Amino acid sequence: MRRVPLFVLTALLLAALGVAQGDKQPTVIMAPVGNVQVRAGGSTDLELNFRIGSDFHINSNKPKADYLIPTVLKLSPPEQVSLADVKYPPGQEMSFAFSPNEKLSVYSGDFAINTVLKAPAGAVPGTYPVKGELRFQACDHSACYPPRSIPVQFQVTVVKK
Amino acid sequence: MKRNAVVFVALVVVVMAMLAAGRYLDRTRKHGPTRLVGNVRGVPAPDFDLLTLDGQKVKLSDYRGKAVLLNFWATWCPPCKIEMPWFVDLQNRYGKDGLVVLGVAMDDSEASKIAEFTHEMGVNYPVLLGTDKVSDDYGDVQYLPTTFYIDRNGMIVDKMAGLLSRQDIENDVKKVVNSTYKIKPTSSTRAQASHRAEVEVKHTSKDAAQ
Repeated sequence: MRRVPLFVLTALLLAALGVAQGDKQPTVIMAPVGNVQVRAGGSTDLELNFRIGSDFHINSNKPKADYLIPTVLKLSPPEQVSLADVKYPPGQEMSFAFSPNEKLSVYSGDFAINTVLKAPAGAVPGTYPVKGELRFQACDHSACYPPRSIPVQFQVTVVKK
Repeated sequence: MKRNAVVFVALVVVVMAMLAAGRYLDRTRKHGPTRLVGNVRGVPAPDFDLLTLDGQKVKLSDYRGKAVLLNFWATWCPPCKIEMPWFVDLQNRYGKDGLVVLGVAMDDSEASKIAEFTHEMGVNYPVLLGTDKVSDDYGDVQYLPTTFYIDRNGMIVDKMAGLLSRQDIENDVKKVVNSTYKIKPTSSTRAQASHRAEVEVKHTSKDAAQ
């Protein structure tokens, strides 16, 4: 219940930062991740939720041309935990005013990236930080911005079998 | 709970003020008065020294007397790709009238990859490798495409950010092509004129001798 207001407040703070900087910059923010628990010898599903600022879109993980920069999540898990494949949502096929005859594969609004956290049987119980970044390249209806990365951070707690 | 909200709002206000002040001071300290800010029409275009895709050095001032369309772009920018064939066509049609299209690639990729892209797009004008400095000098060019139209005297006639219609672009091209080159008699131009006169005299003497 407390996650929603925090997400909204974070969005407001980022919007305020944009205003303070005097430019309309594309924003992508990550919703806070709740308490992630994984049992030693087991696994748990993890969903990371992101929100793209209105009026912007970013390329999906599989854009339609080599020259486009895909959205990529990179995570560095601690030794006690491993990550299974990262699953990206399919892109929305959209065409834009700048190229009405060409469809691009993009994310806009909210999107989620899924993965599975695994802890080996011998994992030492405890709370560990997982750090990483989401790299993306955003455009609006008539122009594009250089690629950027935002930090992705959460904690995972390994509990006994 | 209400107290937390008040603290949060106060925090936002303080952060906004600090960022705005920091950004202003940073711009002033780093760039001084030569950096383009605000309305740039009628302002001298900052000179630059950039490399072409094949490693040749190019300065904007090399093109004094020409009408320059200076286009900041990147390979990852689909709207920029839309404009490229228009620039090719404009270079073909207005090149004889003194138009020079210069592309400034703001990619991080290697020159060879950019060259491959421009070759596929049939680009017939020089493409230069952009740097943070040239981006800063031209007002922190983040929004691509951004195009500056520079007259024969090196003054900015117009700046267009984002993709516009082909007609809008051609209208700006006509403005710079129709500009007149006014040579100001500075010490350097006097020296150049004197040098040119000497060369011409030598050529004339040679012709006469033959």
